[in-house]
Amino acid sequence: MTGPAPQHTLPGPEVLAQIADLELVARIVVEGLVSGLHRSPFHGYSAEFSQYRHYRPGDDLKYVDWKLVARTDRVYTKQFRETTNMAATIVLDTSASMSFPKKVSKCRYAVIVAAALAHIIAGQGDAVGLAAGDRVIPARAGRHNLRALLAALGGVEASGGWEAAATVRRAAERLNRRGLLLVLSDFYDDEDATFNELRRAARMGHEVVLFQVMSREEVEFPYRRDLEFSDLETGRSIAVNAGLARRDYTDAVTAFLERCRRRAGAEGFQYSLIVTDTFPGRGLRNFLLARRR
Amino acid sequence: MIWLNPAAWIGLIALAGPIVIHILVQRRAERLPFPSLRFLRRTRLASIRRHVLDDVLLLALRAAIVALAVTAFAGPLIVTARQRQAWNARVVQAIVVVDGAQPARQPSAFLSQTFEAPSLSDGIPRAVAWLDASPPARHELVIVGLLALGSVTADDLSAVPPAIGIRFERSGSLPRERSVAGGRVLGWQRDAVALTAQTVALNDASTRVREAGATEPAGFPIDIVCSTDARPIVDAAIAATLSQRVWAPAANRRGRLVLVEPSLDPSAIADVGPIVQPWEADGVASMVRDRELQTTGSQVPGGLRDTRFTLAPWRLLLSAPDGRPLAVAAASKTGLVVVTGAEPLSSVTPQLLRAMINALGGPPELRAAEVLPIPDAQLRAWSRPSSPVEAPRVDRVERDDRRGLWVLGLALLALETWVRRSRAAGAEAPHEEDVRVA
Repeated sequence: MTGPAPQHTLPGPEVLAQIADLELVARIVVEGLVSGLHRSPFHGYSAEFSQYRHYRPGDDLKYVDWKLVARTDRVYTKQFRETTNMAATIVLDTSASMSFPKKVSKCRYAVIVAAALAHIIAGQGDAVGLAAGDRVIPARAGRHNLRALLAALGGVEASGGWEAAATVRRAAERLNRRGLLLVLSDFYDDEDATFNELRRAARMGHEVVLFQVMSREEVEFPYRRDLEFSDLETGRSIAVNAGLARRDYTDAVTAFLERCRRRAGAEGFQYSLIVTDTFPGRGLRNFLLARRR
Repeated sequence: MIWLNPAAWIGLIALAGPIVIHILVQRRAERLPFPSLRFLRRTRLASIRRHVLDDVLLLALRAAIVALAVTAFAGPLIVTARQRQAWNARVVQAIVVVDGAQPARQPSAFLSQTFEAPSLSDGIPRAVAWLDASPPARHELVIVGLLALGSVTADDLSAVPPAIGIRFERSGSLPRERSVAGGRVLGWQRDAVALTAQTVALNDASTRVREAGATEPAGFPIDIVCSTDARPIVDAAIAATLSQRVWAPAANRRGRLVLVEPSLDPSAIADVGPIVQPWEADGVASMVRDRELQTTGSQVPGGLRDTRFTLAPWRLLLSAPDGRPLAVAAASKTGLVVVTGAEPLSSVTPQLLRAMINALGGPPELRAAEVLPIPDAQLRAWSRPSSPVEAPRVDRVERDDRRGLWVLGLALLALETWVRRSRAAGAEAPHEEDVRVA
């Protein structure tokens, strides 16, 4: 007789944000994530057998399958796919707008997601790198690189502006061969230029994945009274009655999110909207499941 | 109801504070850092429309708190007939003890304090100050001592406010006879100044004075500045003055009489300055009061021509018939300086010498040796009952009715804080609730 399966309560973003050890946070997120995901969602290049073909003069004899010759009296040579690991770069938005809200900022949330992604990618032997503001970690495989990346992620703070287009361009150019570009941002900064650069990266052969990180407050605007909103990046402020402004605001934000999703779809990017009050693994899991299909 | 500190009502001006603050302070919307303003449009602020109505309760509470505080400072005291009766039924006594007497117990007094003092002029001010600081009651000053003649004067009692009752209590008995040193006198014997000590014996109503010891030569306590020609005349005037015997001054008290125009001898008044010693001021006052001197001076011509004698530090003693000063006084390091414009031969000279010697010294103080008591009739005349309590002072009442006002004020303050916080929480609550539901 078996009892009911134990319920695993996943820690909320507030709890995860309190844990300083990013490696531990990444493990927690990934452990909650991989149950049910038995196959790696990332398909990189590996040194694996591809097919047999008839021997042709000039072929290297070391690739002749002698056992097959003995069985069939025909000479075949083994053909392999070009073997190389996948390389991924995580691009993280560090602009001041990511410092919202105070409780669990979008930046901190994105750092946790990035750490989890890096943990998954490095865990299957692929190379992973980082471009977050002035912190750049080249894409390399191995635990040493993963630790360096997590350490860099631990020091990321959202402040000032963020040159989204330039950062994407540099990250794309650093990937020597076709790779994976994972961008975590609210995409407030220079929307057109950013998408142009992402399109350029895609044409370079990179696969582009967008995570649009938003807070619940930004999406639903749950304010009622008079507030003086000040822009975290420009410092400009505007006094509004939130109750009166709410409808227009939510309409505009919905339109913005829909536009981002539509543009990503049109360019062939994989797009995920993740809201910071959900368990980081939840959004990531949806993304990975979609990727499996 | 009486107000113990009615001047505090001026504090009602402070009521304008909350009102002015509510009118003038611009309410600003709370600042909220936000990632992007690109989706926000400026709207009309609801608070501009609403805050006047919203704040009426807070304004009323704040104004009430200020008004209560001012009322409490004004010191309301509900004085009932019973309360006043209770105050008037009790007596607060300040007992001034002189002559080292032992005060009798005052069991009936609500509160009493004993002040031992060498004299009434020292003890009465202290006793009055203590009574002024005491709780509301009938206030009484009790003077305890031998009460010999001269030990209590009307001047001493004038320092007692009319509301304070005065009572005398004789303690102990005066001796029948007492002999004390009676000072020293200067005389003229064998063409020289002679000093003789005296003893005074007080026996009931009689007084006997006798010389104590031998007569000894002494110096004249006044330096004379005059011309050589006038010296014999001045010596004759000194002899005439001392022939009547005068009280010898203390050794440190000296005088200088200038009988020449100072323009002829500037050094005679080179060191003069203002009068600062009390005995010098008393001496000048006694000379001004001397009727004989004043009468004589008013008949002698020859006032001082130098106009500086009309200015400080000189003080006018005598005026000549022409209105000019005839004699003026000032002080020097050595003592009292008198300058006169009268001729040495005039009758003013011996009068001035006598007045100056009297100013330098005087009869010995015999009040402490008095053996006669102040008559009971005089003591009854000075005695008076204490007045009923009128308006007690705020800081003297043991218990007033301010306590309740302070408690009410604190309660209103707590209510104001609660209203303010609940409004702030009410403004925040929808936000948090929305987030949770979402």
